Amino acid sequence: MARVVLKDLTKRYQGGTLAVDKLNLDIADGEFICLVGPSGCGKTTALRMIAGLEDISGGEVRIGDRVVNHLSPRDRDIAMVFQSYALYPHMSVYDNMAFGLQLRKAPKQDIDKAVHEAARILDLERFLKRKPGQLSGGQRQRVALGRAIVREPAAFLMDEPLSNLDAKLRVQTRAEIARLHHRLTATMIYVTHDQVEAMTMGDRIAVMSEGVLQQVGTPRELYESPQNRFVAGFIGSPSMNFITHQVSLDGGSPRLASEGSEVLLDPKQTDLLRQRQLKTVEVGVRPEHLEIGERNGSGLRAAAKVDVIEFLGNDQLIHAMASGSDMVALVRVDDSLSVGSNVILTAPANRIHLFDPETGEALAVA
Amino acid sequence: MSVATPAVARPAPAERERRRRWVPRPSRVVLNLVLLLVAIFWLVPSIGLLIVSLRPESEFTHSGWWTALTAPSQLTLNNYQVLFSQGLKPGGLLDSLITSAAITIPTTILVTVISSLAAYSLVFGRWRGRTAVYLLIVALLVVPLQMALIPVASLYKFFGSISGYNPFGTVPGVVIFHVAFGLPFGIFMMRNFYAGIPMDLLEAGRIDGAGEWKLFRRVVLPLGVPAAASLAIFQFIWVWNDLLVALVFLGGSPHAPLTVFLFDQVRELASNYWVISTGAIISIVVPLIVFFSFQRYFVRGVLAGAVK
Repeated sequence: MARVVLKDLTKRYQGGTLAVDKLNLDIADGEFICLVGPSGCGKTTALRMIAGLEDISGGEVRIGDRVVNHLSPRDRDIAMVFQSYALYPHMSVYDNMAFGLQLRKAPKQDIDKAVHEAARILDLERFLKRKPGQLSGGQRQRVALGRAIVREPAAFLMDEPLSNLDAKLRVQTRAEIARLHHRLTATMIYVTHDQVEAMTMGDRIAVMSEGVLQQVGTPRELYESPQNRFVAGFIGSPSMNFITHQVSLDGGSPRLASEGSEVLLDPKQTDLLRQRQLKTVEVGVRPEHLEIGERNGSGLRAAAKVDVIEFLGNDQLIHAMASGSDMVALVRVDDSLSVGSNVILTAPANRIHLFDPETGEALAVA
Repeated sequence: MSVATPAVARPAPAERERRRRWVPRPSRVVLNLVLLLVAIFWLVPSIGLLIVSLRPESEFTHSGWWTALTAPSQLTLNNYQVLFSQGLKPGGLLDSLITSAAITIPTTILVTVISSLAAYSLVFGRWRGRTAVYLLIVALLVVPLQMALIPVASLYKFFGSISGYNPFGTVPGVVIFHVAFGLPFGIFMMRNFYAGIPMDLLEAGRIDGAGEWKLFRRVVLPLGVPAAASLAIFQFIWVWNDLLVALVFLGGSPHAPLTVFLFDQVRELASNYWVISTGAIISIVVPLIVFFSFQRYFVRGVLAGAVK
């Protein structure tokens, strides 16, 4: 178990493509951190640099108290679970898990003990003699986890380990990995493009986009106070609605206006906008914070026309056109709504996020 | 933790029974008839050869081999007995059989091993110019062997003049020649097979702690067995059946391979047909044994379960 520190970690491919740009991350011993972002954001490249599978163009990777930049993967004391599992097809499940220890010339009894212990934790004891080809996807996944566990590495690296599983198995395995993390209290670095996975599993989440780290924080921090428009849109499902508004701070009540919608600002927001002196501002509001019907006090008020209604059981998703853009609201099932009806969507001021339309930066951490 | 048991689709017993029963269909009957005809057409010369080898020499001049089909009593193993009873005398059948083996077995092993190693480096190595080297090797495939006979012979002579050992006219000389000409195809074949091995497996191995040699030995080589087995069979048959190189390099030697031995029996007047037929059958049997003993390595889908 060890702390993993990335300092200005950079990957520049031949031809100048910058895959990872000065990534700084301090991962505590025993922490479960998720690297999340859309495909091509550099998260996997970052993980592969930590593993030693990719050369580091700049910066350093520190595992424990060693700088490992120039160590080969086998000397870094890490284990990795691949998206494709990468099990050795010609070896039995037992040998797949024992391989790493065999290469390290561990005593036979120790290997046997470690493999059986891992198999017990992962419920694989019955399959030890089988070949990977004779296992289901979920079982292969667990063998891949087992292969990592037996080595007792300083850190576990996981590259989208769940993306080849079907939806149901994914939810189940997600819980298993979380449980495993509690049990082993190991440092885990988990790469995923699925923000739900990241939100449910990570102690902290690092959101990346185009090679640049956007924000690091607990799932709650990212959800409640995204630092920029990208994080705001990426975290949360369905994603946040954005509407551009004109700022008018003069006159009696400071407010933001757009065609068909307006925001009555609270004093704090007014101050912020005064400081920035922006002409327009991007207003973000999450679907689950929108309500149907008029409300008093400060906040957003938008007139919209219902486009599509998606029934989810308890709730329904309303897609509505408001001021020329599609807005999504997650509300309780209400039979009075129908496609084509006009509704008023509102949200309280403290649920409204304001972003600089130029830089995409959040104006304040709400 | 719960286990997801895979639902194995296995047909019910009745279903299996139905499938096993052969249902004659007109199209199938025609197809089988055609295949049978083709098979007979292909096998006739070999069957003829076999029968000739099993008939006494005296019969050969009197009647065609097909007469043995109606009178099997004339068949005898006498020809084989005579040839083998000559023992290991130089220029005899047994001696040439051993020479053939002494050329073919080392060649096959060397080509398979070197090709596997080279292919590993070409596919998984991390050095510049891998593709260029590979293309160069593929380009060598078009070099006709006949073109190289004289240059190689003079190269051997030159080597002999500086080192005191001229490989020309020796078994190692033939082996070196065959290995050199077997490698381009061997590397081509192994590289293409290795290129299909997922890179993830190698990376998993590297993280597990394997160095290049261990990766080759424990991961890539076992997965490449079907390709290596095919290559070994091809190589064995080519070299075993080679006459040209052996004739040029070992022509006058007392220890010539089987092909040269058979060639020597062809004379303008009164060829030794009984020796030729018997020797040819022996020379067919050996590659057949090799083929069938390696055949089991052609396991389909060795990579199943590696990824996804």
